[in-house]
Amino acid sequence: MSAVRRIFGPALAWQSRAVLARHLRVHLRNWHTAVIPPLAEPLVMLLAFGVGLGSQIGNLVWGGAPADYLPYLAPGILAYTVFMTAFFQSIFSAYMRMHYQKSWEGQLTTQVRLEHVVWAEMLWAATLATFYAVVVCLVLAGFGVAGVLQLHWTWLPLAIPLLFLAAVAFASVGLFFTAILPSMDHMGLPFFLVILPIGFTSSTYFPLPALPWLETLVLANPLHHLAEGLRWLLLRGTPTTHLAYAAALSAVMLLLLVPIDLRLLRKRVFGDA
Amino acid sequence: MLEVRGLVKHLGGKPVVNGVDLTCRAGEVIGLLGPNGAGKTTTLRMCYGFLRPEAGSIRIAGHDLATDGDRARRALGVCTQDDTFDTDFTVRGNLEQTARYYRPKIENLAARIDALLAQFGLEEYADQKPDRLSGGFKRRLMIARSVVHGPQVVFLDEPTTGLDPQARMAVWELVARLRAEGMAVVLTTHYMDEAERLSDRLVLLQDGKVRASGTTRVLLGDVVGEHVVILAHAAPEAGSAADWLRARGDPLTAVLSDWHVALDAAGLAAFVAAFPGLRYEVRPPNLDDLFLALEREGRR
Repeated sequence: MSAVRRIFGPALAWQSRAVLARHLRVHLRNWHTAVIPPLAEPLVMLLAFGVGLGSQIGNLVWGGAPADYLPYLAPGILAYTVFMTAFFQSIFSAYMRMHYQKSWEGQLTTQVRLEHVVWAEMLWAATLATFYAVVVCLVLAGFGVAGVLQLHWTWLPLAIPLLFLAAVAFASVGLFFTAILPSMDHMGLPFFLVILPIGFTSSTYFPLPALPWLETLVLANPLHHLAEGLRWLLLRGTPTTHLAYAAALSAVMLLLLVPIDLRLLRKRVFGDA
Repeated sequence: MLEVRGLVKHLGGKPVVNGVDLTCRAGEVIGLLGPNGAGKTTTLRMCYGFLRPEAGSIRIAGHDLATDGDRARRALGVCTQDDTFDTDFTVRGNLEQTARYYRPKIENLAARIDALLAQFGLEEYADQKPDRLSGGFKRRLMIARSVVHGPQVVFLDEPTTGLDPQARMAVWELVARLRAEGMAVVLTTHYMDEAERLSDRLVLLQDGKVRASGTTRVLLGDVVGEHVVILAHAAPEAGSAADWLRARGDPLTAVLSDWHVALDAAGLAAFVAAFPGLRYEVRPPNLDDLFLALEREGRR
């Protein structure tokens, strides 16, 4: 219990909230430009893939029954948005603040300690990812109003807390790379070698092929469970164990990765193991 | 105000700080000196709370940094060598944002920030982004930021490095004001004149230990000697004078086309008597001589 308190305690400290508020304050100054990517990306994806490609594909079989591609895609985009935003913020933006802006060092000369800076980065990445997910929900609702998309809308707000939890977990993976990347030049490696492969083998954009090794592998992939859990929820109105798996895997990731991130970042920032 | 006892730290398996003691009282400025690798930065980073000491204790305004970290850090101000202000905020915004990282909250913050902007000559730049300021004003902002919460102990790590003489003198004025306000100031610098002018007391680190401490004159006398003789290589009889000094066991340091040698009063008198016709310069030792003496000791 004390280990859990040690890991998660700083997340609730006033110092973490002060740093989180700093990120929010900076973001809100540019909210009008910041809101365009999360609005434009799902719109383009839903139009290009859902409507455009979907009309070519016709029906696909999912969950033992035929499904249109657009409703199949919608929960996948929601999960993928959270996944990518959390990663991007915790790798790219956090690295910029740590290495180039040196704002971490400035904060660390005050009453703020490294665990607060790290938690604030994860919580900020998750906050932004969840906000982007809410924007995606609004875009989906717009498709619903236009009569081209039918989902079990009442479940949508209830999915938000799970999206937030998953985003914090994804951010802890991002910060792992922030801690170990030698320079900005290596920033593409985790994206191309880790993030994109995970993103495309998670039932986000298309059903996975029936390969025994892949089916085993995705059992440990929270993004797969998140996408499938949201899909069952929004397409069939059925909460499944996928949601529980996504939550449990996210919690396990945090328990494992936060201490590792802290140790690696302590070494990186202070030169101390 | 600051009380450091028996700090020990190894980095990369090597002892970097090995039993350092340090004290600084209210209204006192101490200069922390030492050649590269002496352990200055590691000592400071332990005092900021960046590094954890393996042994020893750090008390700031009576609060132990290890066991009462929040209170200790509340009483501590840090101006790092690198500019670490937040480039997403203006000059005023930087002071406001830094203040938000302290509890208890700073009372009458707006008035406090106005006073700091005036005191540090930053009023006309208050609404500018700090990356547009000149080097001297960036340093002013860094120092202003380090004292926004009214700390009792302030660390200034090479606060004037890279500044022109006018900007350096402006920073000296600010340091003098911090001292006058009763803050305990710990200063590191590579500028010898700066250390001499600003510090009430110097602490000299070498190989991770305190080699000597005291006023500038005491420290120079203890480590270097009372007089420094500067002898041009090309001067007539310079060769035989150098041999005479070597035979006495006085180490000569080659500096460009001169030899520098530190002598006590008796040694100088003997040298004058031995070479009455030789032309040379005699001056009091300075901190450059101190570093050269330490380097010589390190080579032995």
